Amino acid sequence: MVDVDASNLLTDKNSISIYIHIPFCERKCSYCAFVSFCLDKSEREKYINSLLDEIENFLTTKKVKTIYLGGGTPSILTKDEIFTIFAKLREKFDIDKNAEITIEVNPNSVDEEKLRAYKAVGINRISVGVQSLSNKTLKSIGRLHTKEEAIEKLKLIGKYFDNISADLILGLSGEKSVVKYAKELIKLNVKHISSYMLEIHENTKLYLEVQDKKYRPLDEKGVAKSYDKLVKFLKKRGFRQYEISNFALADYESKHNLNYWNYGEYVGFGVSAHSFLSHKRMANADTLQGYYKRERKEEKITKNMEIEERIMLGLRCYLGVDISTLRKLGYDIQKNDNYRKFLKEGEIVEYGEKFYLLSKYYKFADYYILNLLP
Amino acid sequence: MKLESKRNFCIIAHIDHGKSTLADRLIEMSGTVSKRDMQSQILDSMDLEREKGITIKLAPTRLIYEYNGQEYELNLIDTPGHVDFTYEVSRSLAACEGALLLVDASQGVEAQTLANTYLALDNNLEIIPIINKIDLPSARVDEVKKEIEEVIGLDAKNCPCISAKEGLNIEDVFKAIIKQIPAPSGDENGKLKCLIFDSHYDNFKGAICLIRVFDGKVKKGDKILMMQTQKVFEVTEVGIFVPTTKECDILKAGDVGYVAGSIKTISDVKVGDTITNADNPISEPLSGYKEVQPVVFCGVFPVDGAKYGELKDALDKLKLNDASLQFSPENSMALGYGFRCGFLGLLHLEIITERLEREFNLDIITTAPSVSYNVYKTNGDCLEISNPSNLPPAVEIAKIEEPVVKVNIFTPPEYVGSIMELCQDKRGEYKNMVYLDKRRVELNYRLPLGEIIYDFFDSLKSRTHGYASFDYEFDGFENADLVRVDILLNGEKCDALSMIVHKDKAYSRGRELAERLKKIIPRQLFEVPIQACIGNKIIARETISAMRKDVLAKCYGGDITRKRKLLEKQKEGKKRMRKIGSVEIPSEAFMSILKLGDDEK
Repeated sequence: MVDVDASNLLTDKNSISIYIHIPFCERKCSYCAFVSFCLDKSEREKYINSLLDEIENFLTTKKVKTIYLGGGTPSILTKDEIFTIFAKLREKFDIDKNAEITIEVNPNSVDEEKLRAYKAVGINRISVGVQSLSNKTLKSIGRLHTKEEAIEKLKLIGKYFDNISADLILGLSGEKSVVKYAKELIKLNVKHISSYMLEIHENTKLYLEVQDKKYRPLDEKGVAKSYDKLVKFLKKRGFRQYEISNFALADYESKHNLNYWNYGEYVGFGVSAHSFLSHKRMANADTLQGYYKRERKEEKITKNMEIEERIMLGLRCYLGVDISTLRKLGYDIQKNDNYRKFLKEGEIVEYGEKFYLLSKYYKFADYYILNLLP
Repeated sequence: MKLESKRNFCIIAHIDHGKSTLADRLIEMSGTVSKRDMQSQILDSMDLEREKGITIKLAPTRLIYEYNGQEYELNLIDTPGHVDFTYEVSRSLAACEGALLLVDASQGVEAQTLANTYLALDNNLEIIPIINKIDLPSARVDEVKKEIEEVIGLDAKNCPCISAKEGLNIEDVFKAIIKQIPAPSGDENGKLKCLIFDSHYDNFKGAICLIRVFDGKVKKGDKILMMQTQKVFEVTEVGIFVPTTKECDILKAGDVGYVAGSIKTISDVKVGDTITNADNPISEPLSGYKEVQPVVFCGVFPVDGAKYGELKDALDKLKLNDASLQFSPENSMALGYGFRCGFLGLLHLEIITERLEREFNLDIITTAPSVSYNVYKTNGDCLEISNPSNLPPAVEIAKIEEPVVKVNIFTPPEYVGSIMELCQDKRGEYKNMVYLDKRRVELNYRLPLGEIIYDFFDSLKSRTHGYASFDYEFDGFENADLVRVDILLNGEKCDALSMIVHKDKAYSRGRELAERLKKIIPRQLFEVPIQACIGNKIIARETISAMRKDVLAKCYGGDITRKRKLLEKQKEGKKRMRKIGSVEIPSEAFMSILKLGDDEK
């Protein structure tokens, strides 16, 4: 059901979020379509210097409420590299003392020394790329860790951190249910689970394997079923589905992600990083050469785009969509036939000045979004 | 200029044999248009014509050529090369004394070569065979000469062998025109007698009649009478084409040119009609006039229902220039308000729908083409039905007649079996088969037109790898055992998907269509049964299973733009959807009837 007040978790007009992209990987996973490279030490140094330079040249007076180091594999960074980056961040920005600071780690590249360094620079949330707890599955998608390693590292992380998130992929070959993995994760004190359905992008190794029929992901029905099972299980265990693919115990929602969905501002540093500032969406170049030359795409968000985005973002999570904001943008959604139909059939609900998609319909979110556009 | 130094001629050829290129070369070499202004294929003035490599509207042009110290005035009347426009071809042939029969040196004689030759012979034209594309490595000049002699029966011994593209031996063409084509005869002091072989619409001058003057003369201020429509107009301008319009003082017997007379509606100008002087008329019009009838029909609807008015304006404008286009308002349960349009053939249909989309920027949905049936009811009424959903219930029908055509197919011998099989499958009646030479067979069949417009051309092309050519002519109506197959989506009838088919094929077509719709219609949140039925009898059923999820789960790293763009693309796609009850179906579905049978190829 709808369960509204998330305002305490949200950034406001005077705050900003920071995303930092660390595009390094020891090896690219077969399904990965993100910008990542296997780089040697000198190339890494060059990248980090460029990153520091980019941060140095960004100006803001806003208070930083969340920081997120994503990848790639940020846990490849050495403790010294972590210190350097955070020294720069602390020097440049006014970081809220309660800021949520997340780093993504892979079980094979994180160790106790790095965890201590994370703690020392103020990182307080760890997102672990578990993906599966079957060694066969992990191997088949090119992950470098084993189930045992993942469990061992989660235990280790638990010694230093309370706010731990883990990723699970839905739809992998043979994985009809991931409930058993979720169960294990909860035992290991994981407070937040992100569970994305496998998407097979062109130009990935997995795409070719699927084309060649060497890899058979679950079919749509199978994915939908495994998703349903997970949702049901997590609900029982007190995890709220606060977004299509995100589940958390109370107060463990990712504030950083909520800021994206709440139309908050953010700045992204690094290759292919995205920013949303003063109604402009910007994307850094997605090649290293382009990034070093500071090439970026920029798009001014028009009223129509904002309407689309607000519906798209608000419906996919428990934040909902503000009716009066849409009205101010020139769209009276209460006059939309589909809107009335969905209301009548109880698929969306109005509450206060907002409307929400019931979480049981999240699975069809794109259908509702599409039908509610002006 | 005296009559003796005038020549009126046209070029006839199978499609792609180089007609427009030769016309360009003649214009260029006669110095009519300077090389600088020369745009390749100058007579094909519409973009679409240039793109499709075909001529749709006729464009005459006057060439001045000096030969043996004497100036000649050569009037070239370009003709459309496609079977849909046979009547227009025959009228422009009637305006000439001679025809250049252009044959591709590597392709040889094709279906339309022969069809056009017959038309030219019907009009008593002097025919000069010309072999084109002799520069191609695959040219087989001697064999093609022999083909012309044996298949068509024309003397090709000394015919010009040219390359229009390379400008090779073009002088031979001029020489042949001057030497072999007779000068026009006619009495410029007699009563006015002109043939309208085409018409255009000009926003300032009104409808313009393209004419050939046979007797008498016509000038500004004359009162002219259109003998078929019995309308009288005062001439406001006469002129010639060079190839753009150029006003002149007078047009006399033997001349080719145009007259304008503040004619507001193009339907007052009928191709094939005779113009005479209203004050001093001739008693008998020229022979050969006929009213052009559309043979192929389809529904045309705006994707966005609110654009009905724009669609109407666009059709009105196209009709100004194309008297053969017919349309009347139609209302479909599935597609809303639109028009039932009649066309001369499938190419004509394709051209018009493309022009609507391109020139008028309209998004349109077209339904599958249909022919016009004569339906005799038990109460004695006779209806012409071109829209399957208007077919009365079976109990009220005494009999149905369908249009039938005579088909000539030219093919290399190795495809004969496959073509016969195709014709058989299309309910064809075998007439004749002639081995023209080692490389070429002519097949004659009689086929229902309804089968021709239903993927015949595509099937022929794919079965013969494009080596066969075909041509058809109308050959009356015939009784046929026809039924209407309806489609139900989630229990609701979708009128725009109904089709009239032969009883023996109803089951297989119904099943194929249901299967095809299953592939085209995206899954919905609920299960959608697709049923094909005749009356109340269900003959096929398919089910579109319900969608299990509709969500792109990942919205990561702040890349909102990518997701919004995906959404916008989906939104565009949704605009092309139509709702039948609660089922959304994409507009392509309405053309899918045509694609039946594709899967087996």
